[in-house]
Amino acid sequence: MKPIYHAIIGLLLAAAPGAVCAAEPVQWDANRPEFKFFQEKGSYTEDAWDQLAPEDQEKALEEVKDKALEREKLVLEDYSYASQKWDSRQAKFYTDKIRNEELKVFYIWVGKEEGQELNRKVSFVRDMLAKASTEEGLTDEDAAALSRYLIPEAINDLRALKTAAGVQRQAAAAAGRQDPGKAAVNASLDKASGAASKANGKDISKFFDGSAGNGDVSDPVYSKKYALPKGVVGSAVGGISGSMSKQVAGAADDLLAPNGTSATTVKSAPPAALGEAKTKSKALTSDAYGITLETGAGVKTFRKPKEAEAAIRELPPGSVKKIILYGHGAPGLQSVGDNSYDAESTTALLKGKMAKDGVIQFAGCNTASIGGPTLNPAVGLSMVARRLLYFSVPYFLDRKDGRNAEDSKQEWEKTWNADLARDTSNGVKGAIVCGYRTFGLVPGRLPVVTRLMGTQEATTPGYVAGKKACYQDGKEVPAP
Amino acid sequence: MTDLNYILETILLLAVPFVPVAIGVMLRRKFPRPAEGAAATGGQKAGRLAGNLLFWGGIAGIVFMVIVLLNFKGKI
Repeated sequence: MKPIYHAIIGLLLAAAPGAVCAAEPVQWDANRPEFKFFQEKGSYTEDAWDQLAPEDQEKALEEVKDKALEREKLVLEDYSYASQKWDSRQAKFYTDKIRNEELKVFYIWVGKEEGQELNRKVSFVRDMLAKASTEEGLTDEDAAALSRYLIPEAINDLRALKTAAGVQRQAAAAAGRQDPGKAAVNASLDKASGAASKANGKDISKFFDGSAGNGDVSDPVYSKKYALPKGVVGSAVGGISGSMSKQVAGAADDLLAPNGTSATTVKSAPPAALGEAKTKSKALTSDAYGITLETGAGVKTFRKPKEAEAAIRELPPGSVKKIILYGHGAPGLQSVGDNSYDAESTTALLKGKMAKDGVIQFAGCNTASIGGPTLNPAVGLSMVARRLLYFSVPYFLDRKDGRNAEDSKQEWEKTWNADLARDTSNGVKGAIVCGYRTFGLVPGRLPVVTRLMGTQEATTPGYVAGKKACYQDGKEVPAP
Repeated sequence: MTDLNYILETILLLAVPFVPVAIGVMLRRKFPRPAEGAAATGGQKAGRLAGNLLFWGGIAGIVFMVIVLLNFKGKI
């Protein structure tokens, strides 16, 4: 019996300190993520916390633990972008978006000094943006001071505003108006920053209006420019392209909806990365598609394009280093699961978001034009197949339906060799946009092979046998 | 006329993958495998090699087109 007594006494002694610890109150620690979370949400003050029973404190800490860690990661990620030197777009974005509420978040999560420094940066750049478009313009001293916060190109852009705004004023004066108006200045800003989009115009307008509104409404984009062959849609492609027009319309609806937040720091939760929740498919054929997003914070893959779109909208300008849209492609169109992207919808999604020389990769067949002559027989066969499938088949189906030969010819001649990569590069200035001139064969998509490799629901293509073409500002460039 | 042009074009395009196979078969018949013990001349060897290359390359091309068609139909 003696050993049993010893064991019981030993267990009691071991449990005693734990029981004492559990009963002790938890001190307020402003450096712990959970307490930062409380501060941001206003859940507890230090005094209120001290008045809680120890058990309630434990419970409250346990409840917010995961959320707090997630939030910390997100805010630090935001801060890493905001603390870098900005280009013109970022300067406009941050000075428009970062207000007291956002600064408070940085104060809490990153630190008081960092928050103050960011406040100084935002205020100074905001003042300089306003001054840049006045008659006075930026002085050499201003430019030197700005070099701490902005990249040289952005400073040059701001200095050019003086001239642009002056021209606008003269034009306004000539037209008998005393005030050039915000629209003129906004137009100058847009021109100088190389961002003559309506969406940016809105941002600038908001900036000059002093509006703290955080809605960043993109213009709806819905184009039937690259409608797929209707016969093909009806018969051959089936599930893939049949719903494309609906999906593009869906994307347009999404674009109409204002963003709920101005920056991820304000009120957002990070989108779920689907790579984390993979379920093994047992299918013999492939259903691989997805979006891979590479930013300064790392690489995230998304199976659901809507989630990827939401994540992209939350990102600050110039933060996307690479994006791969993977799925079936057709001339002028890239599908990713239930969504599809043409040049205009891709531009609407990514304009302003791409880092300098950032890469947009359409990983789908025929997402670039066929290009020039080739001696490669496989490329030649792909050209033949493309002409047959995207011109001959829809043309004859149209004719069968009784459509006029000339109309049908014009439509499909324009469509079969569309170049999605080039058209997108014309919209997303500065980004390198790549597509495939051929059908791209992905070994991991082959029936049975896909099961053996476990790539039925892969979100990235891996090796693609196909002829790639890349464009920047509409001109062909070497693949990065 | 427009329809006729496109019908001709389509026939030619559809024939493209079969052309090397046909030429390969012709060459393989023209330069058959030498009988056992008989030595093939350099020309015969070259002719048979070209025939084999075209034949099997053509077969590979047809398989490629089938895969492309399956891809287009969303099967793979």
